Amino acid sequence: MTRPPLLQFPAAGLSRAALLASLLAGLAWATPGSGAGLASASPAAPSGTQLTDVQAIWRATTRLGYWPSPEQVTAIRVHPGGARGWALAEVDRAFDTSREPARVPEALHAVTAPLPTIFAEVRREREARLLAAQTAQDAGPMGVVVPSAAAPAVDSYLRTSGQQAAAWRMLGCSDPSIEHPLLARLTEFWFNHLNVFAGRATVRPFTGHYAVHAIRPNVLGRFEDLLIASARHPAMLFYLDQNQNVAEGTPGLNGRVRGLNENYARELLELHTLGVDGGYTQQDVRELARVLTGWTVDPAAPSGFRFVSRLHDAGGKVVLGRPFGGEGLAQGEREGVEAIAMLAANRATARRIALRLARFFVADEPPTALVDRLSAEYLATRGDLRRMMRLLVASPEFWDPANELFKTPYDFACSALGASAQAAPGNRAPGIGLALSFLVAAGQPVNGWQTPDGYRTDAATWLSPEALTRRADLAAALARGMGDPEYLLVFYGPRTLERLGRLPAGTRGALALAAPDFMRK
Amino acid sequence: MPLRSPNDRRRLLRALLAGGGLAAGAPRAFAQEAPAMQRGRLVVVFLRGACDGLSALVPWSDPEYARLRPSIAIAAPDGTASTAIGLDGRFALHPALAPLLPLWQEGTLAVVPAAGSPNRTRSHFEAQHHWETGLPDQSTGAPGWLNRLAAFDTPRPSQPRLLGVGEANPHILSGAVRARLIPRGAAATRAGVFGNDTAREALLELYGDDDRLSRAFRDGVESRLMSSKELAAERAAADNGAGGVAGLAGDARQLAALMRADPALRIGFLSAGGWDTHVNQGAATGQLASRLSGLAAALVQLRRDFDRPGDLVLVFSEFGRTCAENGSRGTDHGRGNAMWLLGRQVAGGRVHGRWEGLAPGNLNEGRDLPVLHDFRAVIAQPINRLFGLPDSRLAELFPGAAWDASLDALVRRG
Repeated sequence: MTRPPLLQFPAAGLSRAALLASLLAGLAWATPGSGAGLASASPAAPSGTQLTDVQAIWRATTRLGYWPSPEQVTAIRVHPGGARGWALAEVDRAFDTSREPARVPEALHAVTAPLPTIFAEVRREREARLLAAQTAQDAGPMGVVVPSAAAPAVDSYLRTSGQQAAAWRMLGCSDPSIEHPLLARLTEFWFNHLNVFAGRATVRPFTGHYAVHAIRPNVLGRFEDLLIASARHPAMLFYLDQNQNVAEGTPGLNGRVRGLNENYARELLELHTLGVDGGYTQQDVRELARVLTGWTVDPAAPSGFRFVSRLHDAGGKVVLGRPFGGEGLAQGEREGVEAIAMLAANRATARRIALRLARFFVADEPPTALVDRLSAEYLATRGDLRRMMRLLVASPEFWDPANELFKTPYDFACSALGASAQAAPGNRAPGIGLALSFLVAAGQPVNGWQTPDGYRTDAATWLSPEALTRRADLAAALARGMGDPEYLLVFYGPRTLERLGRLPAGTRGALALAAPDFMRK
Repeated sequence: MPLRSPNDRRRLLRALLAGGGLAAGAPRAFAQEAPAMQRGRLVVVFLRGACDGLSALVPWSDPEYARLRPSIAIAAPDGTASTAIGLDGRFALHPALAPLLPLWQEGTLAVVPAAGSPNRTRSHFEAQHHWETGLPDQSTGAPGWLNRLAAFDTPRPSQPRLLGVGEANPHILSGAVRARLIPRGAAATRAGVFGNDTAREALLELYGDDDRLSRAFRDGVESRLMSSKELAAERAAADNGAGGVAGLAGDARQLAALMRADPALRIGFLSAGGWDTHVNQGAATGQLASRLSGLAAALVQLRRDFDRPGDLVLVFSEFGRTCAENGSRGTDHGRGNAMWLLGRQVAGGRVHGRWEGLAPGNLNEGRDLPVLHDFRAVIAQPINRLFGLPDSRLAELFPGAAWDASLDALVRRG
């Protein structure tokens, strides 16, 4: 087998600078006058306390998005404020985009269908299934239910709406023409913070709508608004059983008596706001559940939500020492709105949000000083997430070479999808299918974390030997028809480049996506 | 008082009588004397999400039981399929756990009905962390207790000593000793691109450096090739009608196959979620019943595959659920729960430990089964007896936990 060198120069004795210059020369985005600066700095070489320009571009694009698309790389290189200036502007662009409707392709229409339509589809399908079961039962011998070949495919809406919701996430994180990369990142982060699980059949048809309409518009707004949007969305109302949380003694069907369900109230305190050490008690959980009685789904309302006074516990309650529902105080639905505002304004919430953002964007064990500043910014701006993100991307900690992050399977799938499509554009569906299957085997299925704590994103969770090797399988599958991805290789270290250079030409795409350099962000 | 078993107390006493002096009882001396874990294999099945123990092990004769759970109580045993399966005058199995009855009858399945963590948290995630570190008085990033247990055996092993199926990196396995982690189902049986010599060589070259990532990758290639080879036979057997690789029972099959193939893997971990039944948990049938039937299939599989004298299967969940059903025919987060033990040396066919019933005065905060036995004291019993782990090591494994002599009958003697 002949092994032509990757680059048209002798590998031996080549300096890193020459290698990089040679790479950059062939790139459409390399602007005049900038090549020398880049070439003088190696992406992999230690350089004191500063990232090189190339490293800064890699960090900016892989953390504030998923992969370095050539358009983004060009934009950073021409930005007068450098990578940091670009990142600040990127926060504002993501904000502007978040105020516009998502660009959902027609093929994924279920994601953005109006809520009453989703409810109607679910009801139609449930009735069809009952009918099919009934028909089968009637026909079966001795009352045994037998599946009938003639029964309609009744689970199709449940299945396709779940698939479309997952596909939308993959499309959004990999294709900058569909979704702003930082907005896709923030949608991932906040969906995970306010996690819902598509494995529950009642939740599944709403997960796409939840991501696009409850999370996405609010990721750079005020945290309180994001919380309220999630609290009122059918996906969350179903997922944490809030639709079942009613005043003790409420009459139910068949003479049954209904009552409190603590599930949502507990996770609202423990995970969405204060955190487990945030200073609340079991009594607070119960009282908050009482405050929220009557918050439930409305299949006919455009918002999918309604407050039902009849189901609300009108008595007085005390949450974290503050009274609700008594004489002269907020009553009814207002109690819940004010309780959520109170939780959002709590110092423990500020701390928790600050810590989680810093972990996600900066380091698994983020510097305390950064968390302190983010937390202070949260409190000073009443939870303005855009201001927090601006502080974060402008912070020296974000750009500190010591603050390394390892890609999660989701990061890897999104970036490999995007980078492979860049080299071999075409129908995105097969690649998305491969990526979604990979994520199932990797333990990070899209919308598929069962419990409300969301996925962990640290290396301790995801960097394990066999799991790492499985990334190479996805790389190989996605790289079919992909040429040499020069737009990635400029970011790679000299040892990887040298090793890639010794490989046969047709294999370099897959190996570039499977290389160690591609696993870090 | 630290964990201290009667065995070791006797040994300490013998040492003292023989004139060995106090030094013989010092931790270091014990650690050198006793070859740790000379026989046993341990499999932990963690039911994440707080499995409702009062549905799995039904206190059927307690009049409070049906009163507290008007729509979700499992009916008292009457011999029919929709009622509980009587074990003794107090307890019965959920009908979906019927496959476990033969194990109970042969005496290889035992249960401690009111065990749990001394920490009172009602957070799933905090409580699970405590069960995984074995340190319920702190929420630090300490290594998992299974990893610390493996470290006693082999302080600096180069090969994996622990095996996990399904989860990306469960905390209970994390620590200094390497764990082998494989995915659920058919994905674990595939060599993928590493079946191709050229691709494998190229990839190994790309990861030729000595950093953490490269080392992990090379380990992963080796372990993955072994897994796919060893599981291929298992897969072929499954295709021949011996049961699939889906579900928890499938995880159990793959775990057993790999532990059989590599004797150095003596600690295994499985988990299953979906137990957080706040709404419509069902009774003899329904949501919880279908989870329990999957669990029963897995435990029968494990019992079959882990039948050496020193083998032990431990099943637990982070806490129990409220004794009374809630307003939506489900149950909320509680405290005490049943712990299940399977193995030839388990004194099975018996309920062990204290049980005080469900009368209002006996419940924790008026709502939950109390924790009458520290989960670490339950685990310490078989670990001590089957793995030959000395007191000093037990105390290191579960610092602050006390030996619970009321559970001394949990493991068969001799």
